[in-house]
Amino acid sequence: MVQEATQGPSPEVSLTVTLFFAALLVGMILCLAFEEKLHAQKSLIVGLFAVITLFAGAVLLPLPYGPYLIGEHEVALPVYIPAIDWGVITIILGASLFVDVTSRSGLFTWVAIRLTKTSRGDPRKLLWYYGLMTVGFSAVLNNVTAMIIVGSLSAVSLAKLERSDKLLGFLLIEGLLTNVGGLLTLISSVPNIIVGTAAGISFIDFFVKAAPFVLVVTIATLLMGARIFEIRGLATPEEIEEAARLVEGFDERDGIESRGFFWFGAVMLVLFIVAIATASVTPYIRDLGMGYVALAFAAVMLIRYKHEVDEFYRTIDWDLLAFFAALFVVISMMEHAQVLALIGRGVEALIALGPRAGTSAVLLSSAAFSSVTDNIPLAAMLAKIVAGIPMPGGGIRPPGDPLWWAVIFGANLGGNLTPIGSASTLVAVTIMRKHNVPLSFVAFVRKAFPFAAMHLALAVGYVLIGT
Amino acid sequence: MTKVDQFESVFRSATRTVFQPVPVELDSVLVVSDADGSAAEEFTARSHSFLAILDERENLRWVTVQGSEFHTVPDLLDRVETERPGLICTHRHLHSESWRWPYTLGEYVDVLTQATTTPVLVMPHPERPEFQELAGRRPQSVMAMTDHLTGDHRLVNYAAHFTQPEGRLLLGHVEDDAIFERYMEAISKISTIDTDGARKEIRDRLLKDPQDYIDSCRKGLARIAPELTVEAMVTSGHHIRAYQRLIEEHGVDLLVMNTKDEDQLAMHGLAYSLAIELRTIPLLML
Repeated sequence: MVQEATQGPSPEVSLTVTLFFAALLVGMILCLAFEEKLHAQKSLIVGLFAVITLFAGAVLLPLPYGPYLIGEHEVALPVYIPAIDWGVITIILGASLFVDVTSRSGLFTWVAIRLTKTSRGDPRKLLWYYGLMTVGFSAVLNNVTAMIIVGSLSAVSLAKLERSDKLLGFLLIEGLLTNVGGLLTLISSVPNIIVGTAAGISFIDFFVKAAPFVLVVTIATLLMGARIFEIRGLATPEEIEEAARLVEGFDERDGIESRGFFWFGAVMLVLFIVAIATASVTPYIRDLGMGYVALAFAAVMLIRYKHEVDEFYRTIDWDLLAFFAALFVVISMMEHAQVLALIGRGVEALIALGPRAGTSAVLLSSAAFSSVTDNIPLAAMLAKIVAGIPMPGGGIRPPGDPLWWAVIFGANLGGNLTPIGSASTLVAVTIMRKHNVPLSFVAFVRKAFPFAAMHLALAVGYVLIGT
Repeated sequence: MTKVDQFESVFRSATRTVFQPVPVELDSVLVVSDADGSAAEEFTARSHSFLAILDERENLRWVTVQGSEFHTVPDLLDRVETERPGLICTHRHLHSESWRWPYTLGEYVDVLTQATTTPVLVMPHPERPEFQELAGRRPQSVMAMTDHLTGDHRLVNYAAHFTQPEGRLLLGHVEDDAIFERYMEAISKISTIDTDGARKEIRDRLLKDPQDYIDSCRKGLARIAPELTVEAMVTSGHHIRAYQRLIEEHGVDLLVMNTKDEDQLAMHGLAYSLAIELRTIPLLML
C-alpha cells in the first residue's frame, strides 16, 4: 500500500495506548525541564525518547510505513524521515550558518560598539541602546546569539565604565527583551517559524501584526527596568567627562578583518532580510521556501572562507538541530497515538470558554507551560493541535486567527517567567554567574515576574483587539 | 557557553587603554652629593644644566645637600622629609668607592628609591667620564621603559615632562622571552591547545596592547606637546640586553623607569638590574 507522505494519524488507538504515550511525553518534558540536573544535552534526551516512542509505536500503533508517494513518485523512506519538518530544519541550519559567517565580518560587534560609544558611557542611555539592540538582534539573528552578543558586551562595557554593580539589571532586562524581540518577525524564534509555517502566516503579515506590540512592550520594559534597577543618567560634569573618556577606549574597527568583507556582510544581511521577507510572494522562491533562501545565503557567504568551511560546519549547533529532528519524530508518534488529539480536546475546552476568554486562556496556559519547559515542543504540539481544531463554520483556520497569535505570544513570552523558560534567559543567568552576580531560580522569578506579568497582560489585550 | 567567552574576548580586544595626560608638578629639586664645596657645586650645576627644561617649565627651588651634611641613611631620609622635594637628584654609590663595580647602586640610593615616594634622578658617578660628557647636554632622546607599559600614565607623563619640547620620546616595552617560553612549554604539553597557533596569537596580543597604548599616547601628547616625537619600541627578547641595545641604537639621554613594585619591598627586579648595568646615562627612577 502506498502512503501519502503527509498522512495523518490513525483513529484506531485504544485509550490505554494513548495514555502510555502521553506518559512518555510528560516524561520527556520533565527531563527537558531538568536538563541541567541531568547533565545531558537536549538532543540526547529527546533522541532517546524518539528511539523509545518509535519502537513503542512500531509495536502498538498502525504506523504509516512507506513507500511514500511524493508527487508522482513512490519513495522508500524510514517512517521517521517524513515525520521531520525539514522546512524548519533548513531555515534554522541556513540562518545560523549565515549569521555565523556574517558575524566574522565584524558587523555585529561594530554595531554594538558604535552604540556603546554613542551613549558616551551614560548608564541610562546604555540601557536603552542595549535594550533596542537586543530586540533588533533577536529579530534578525536568534534569541540565544543576540543574548550572547549583547550580554557579553554589557559585561565588558560595564566593567570598563566601573558600573559592574548594574550588570545584573542589564542582563535581566536584556534576557527578557530577547523574548520580546523574538516576536518581531517570523524567523526571529523557532516557535514563530513552527506556528507561523503551520498557520501560513507570511513574513510581512507577521511583522505588521507583531511590530506595534514589540515596540510598546520594549519601551515599557526599559522604563520599568531603569526604575526597578535604579539605572540613572550621569549627573555631574565630572562623571560625564570620565565616562566619555572611558568609553572612548573602545575601537569598533578592531574586529573588522577586511573592510570589503565588512560591507559585503552588511549588504548581504540587508538582502537576506529582504529575501526572507518576500519569500512567500517571490516567484519560484515561494515554491522553494525560506529554508532554501537561508541555505543559499549561507552558501554565498561561505565563499569568502572557501578553504575553511569545515570550521563553520563545526560551529553549527548540531545539538539544536538533532533536538528538532528528534522532537518532530516524538510529536509525530504522539500524533499517531492520539495524544495530540487528547490534548486538543483540552484546548478545545479552553476555546469553548468563548472568543475572548478562550483565546486568553490559551495564551496564558501556553505561557505557563512555556515557563517551565522548552517552548519549542510546546509550539510544535500546539501548532498541530490548533491546526486540527475545526473552525466554527468549518474550513481551515486563517493565518490571522487570534488562536495562532495566542500560541505565538504565549510560547514566546512565557519564557520570561523563569530562568529555564527560554534558552536566552538561561544564557543571561549563565553570564550573571560567570561575572559573580548569581541569581537563584526564586530570585529570578521574583525579579522577572513584574515584567513577565506586564508582558502577558499587554499580550492578552493586544490579541483580544484582533478577535 | 564558549560563545559567550568568544564574544567577550572580541569586545575586550576592542577595548583600548586611553592615555591620560596628567601635569607633572615639581616645586623643588633636592640635589644630593657626597662631595663638599666646589665638587658639590659642580655636581649641582651639571645636574641643573641637564635639567634646564624643568626650569623652563616651572619656577623650581634648587637645594643642595653636601656630603658632610649626612653620614647615615637616616640622616639623608630626615633631610628629604624636611625638604619634601618634588625630585631628588643624586648619583650612585654615595659615600662609597664601590661605584667602580657594577653590583649595586649603593645603600643610599637603594633606600631612597624605596623609602620615599619622590622620583630619584640618578646621574652617572661624577668620577666617570660620562658625567663630564653631560656638560651642555639636554635630554633630547628620553626612553620610558617597562615590562608593562599599557596604562602606565605616570611613567609616560614623567618621561614627556623631562624631554626637550622638540625631542624624541621613546616608549619602550620589552616582553621577556624567558617567561614567554616557560608558558609556551606548558602550552606545548596541553593536547587541547594548538601550540603553534597559541605561540603566534599570544605573542601578537602581548605586543599589540602596548603598541595600541603608545598610539593613544601619541595622540594625547600631540595635544599638549605638538613638537614632541613619540616613537614606539615594542619588542620581545632578553630584558636587559634588549634595553641595552635599544638605548645604544637610539642614543638615549635619559632612561625613565618604575622602581616600585606593589608585591615586594625591594626595588622592581627589572629596574634594579637595568639601573646597575646602565651606568653611563642618567636614570629617572619613579
